[in-house]
Amino acid sequence: MSMSSAPRSGSLAPYLFVLPATVLFVAYVVYPILYVICSSAYRWDGINQATFTGLANYIRLFTHDPAFVLAIRNAVLWAPLTILPQMLLGFAIAYMLETGVPRQAIYQAIFYLPAIISPVVVGIVWQRIYNPFGGLLSDIGFASGLRFLTVPFLSDTKVAIYAVIAVNVWQWTGFSMLLYVAGLKGLPTETLEAAKIEGATLRQTIVYVVWPMLRHVHLTLILLGVIGTLQTFPLIYMLTNGGPNHATESLPNYIFLQAFKLQSMGYASAISVVLMVIALALSLFQVRVLGARFALAE
Amino acid sequence: MDLSKARDGASLFALAAVLMSAQPVNAADTTVTFRTWSPIVETTAKMAVATEAKLPGIKIDYKIFNYPDYIVDLHTRAASDDMPDLIGLEPGALTRQYQDFLLPLQDCAVKSWGADWKSKFFPLAVDQIRLGNVKGDENYYALPVLTQTINMWYTIPVLKEAGLQPPKSYDDMLKMVPKLSGKGIATMLVGAADGWERRDVYMQLIHNVAPGLIYKAEDGTAKFTDAPFVEAMTVWKKLFDDGIIQPGALGLSVSPQAMELTEGGRAATFPQGAWWQQQATRPNPPELSVALNGYAPMLFPDVTGKGRPNDPLGGIDLMIGISKKSKHVDEACKVLADWVSGAGAQELINTFNDLPAFKGINPQVYQSDNQKAVWTLFTEEWLPKVRYARQLKSPAVKQALEDALAAVASGDQTPAQGMATVQAAWQSQKN
Repeated sequence: MSMSSAPRSGSLAPYLFVLPATVLFVAYVVYPILYVICSSAYRWDGINQATFTGLANYIRLFTHDPAFVLAIRNAVLWAPLTILPQMLLGFAIAYMLETGVPRQAIYQAIFYLPAIISPVVVGIVWQRIYNPFGGLLSDIGFASGLRFLTVPFLSDTKVAIYAVIAVNVWQWTGFSMLLYVAGLKGLPTETLEAAKIEGATLRQTIVYVVWPMLRHVHLTLILLGVIGTLQTFPLIYMLTNGGPNHATESLPNYIFLQAFKLQSMGYASAISVVLMVIALALSLFQVRVLGARFALAE
Repeated sequence: MDLSKARDGASLFALAAVLMSAQPVNAADTTVTFRTWSPIVETTAKMAVATEAKLPGIKIDYKIFNYPDYIVDLHTRAASDDMPDLIGLEPGALTRQYQDFLLPLQDCAVKSWGADWKSKFFPLAVDQIRLGNVKGDENYYALPVLTQTINMWYTIPVLKEAGLQPPKSYDDMLKMVPKLSGKGIATMLVGAADGWERRDVYMQLIHNVAPGLIYKAEDGTAKFTDAPFVEAMTVWKKLFDDGIIQPGALGLSVSPQAMELTEGGRAATFPQGAWWQQQATRPNPPELSVALNGYAPMLFPDVTGKGRPNDPLGGIDLMIGISKKSKHVDEACKVLADWVSGAGAQELINTFNDLPAFKGINPQVYQSDNQKAVWTLFTEEWLPKVRYARQLKSPAVKQALEDALAAVASGDQTPAQGMATVQAAWQSQKN
């Protein structure tokens, strides 16, 4: 290394270059995290004098709060039940469109449409579809004799979370499809032709050739799916508002409820800290176990 | 000819013309800022125009949010010491939370309406301003603008067509079910996905079973696990089990779904408050809402068989406070007074948004005799009778009650278990 390109000992220049990014990082990431961690040790409405309570918020959270337990359960259900179907359906649609459907751009647009609709609209429309008192599904159910369609999907505490998950899958499958279409377009044609010459069946081509070669797309969708799981708010807020009786509660929705409706900013901060720890653990897991070769990073 | 120069010249000319034709802003004008969730933008705009015309030199800068966004906005403003001059408030917990930021308004009230200002308001309006005050604090941190009752409504043509009368008892409602359900009509259409709607129904049930008891439980002189609370909760459950409330109610929001079904003629009765009158004043309302011809209010039917109280529950719908740090306290007081009883108030009441807090203000135009009769019933018979609040003081107890109502309706808890969770929430917030 020449003397001219090496940083001189004691020079401030390198630090000045990273200073703006550091200041922004501290102001918008580090400070809020520390602030939330501190807030979680207080009984505080967010406005008035706070009372230090130590770990009381965490103790209450893990021992006396069934709504929090439901929110955690729902997050555990939400991740696999949305990510996996979205991936499989998205891949199936993308593969069909890529291998023989004329005017595929039109179909791509149609399948992608739900992803660009506001969750507020999606929530209102699906609440109507699910309503057993004159909703679309129940009307079809009564007319066709398919009685399972007349179930009160959103008001049954055992079914509601799955009904909400189904809406989420409906909304985001088109997004998965779009990433798979991009992935499929980038596959080397010689490999696919080689598989064909070797006499691979359609199933073998998909399972042993195409699917493994789309690993970076799968990882990207898993990463985005996990992020989406931890951030799920508007759809649930509009569709069920976490109800009935917290059966569809999500952590972000519960944080909002505690912080602003119940004036418990300290308690909401404790939930936020738990959410942050979960997010951190999942991120580390993905980077260490699955690897960080995401499509968006390539 | 250089076209680009000509285009630039034309643009400058147009800009100058726009600037010259714009409304001159008087540097001496005082701008009073107002943030709230209610009333809606269109109504607030009319109020502002009327008030500005009446109070020369004052400009009103208003912004209306939906309720959750407003709470976040208010919270952020309080944290950054940037409160608006006029602040939309609800009685109880919300006002208590922001009490340190609010100016006591009794002086403003005396200045505006004289020493006997309280007598000029409906009694419930004055009583409930201090719902959130700590014991011993006699200040009024806001002044009421709109009041309301919570009650039931019935759809006149639906009952007429089915040969039914408005129900007066639980048995009456029960008898309505077989006559209506086959036609796809709910005996009682409830948007029970919304916690406030569930709570409104329960508040009417407990008021029927044991008037006034729930406020004693709030104060700790009764328990939420006492027999009358469980009895009211049992009736709530029966409303679902007997098919009086429509199937799937827990998954249906009031707005827009339940309201649309109601206006589509699918509800024989439904729980809404005095605010339902405003359905008639929207542009192009559905047929039932035109001139309010399709609806009439009624008290909640007797569910005990021992008779029902003849006083509805009610409260302040909207009250407005003035920021302690406002630099325009006098002007803010004048604007507020005008919205309570002046030209701004008249604009507000003309929309039938809700009931006035100040006595003697009535809409200038009625679209039908029924609309006038309904208004008269609310303001002359029901409102003066209101003794008990629609709201509970503690957000935690309120939430616990709403959760318990959902849990009991869905069969996850028994009525006794549901009320035990409410009592536990009360105990927890007391500690």
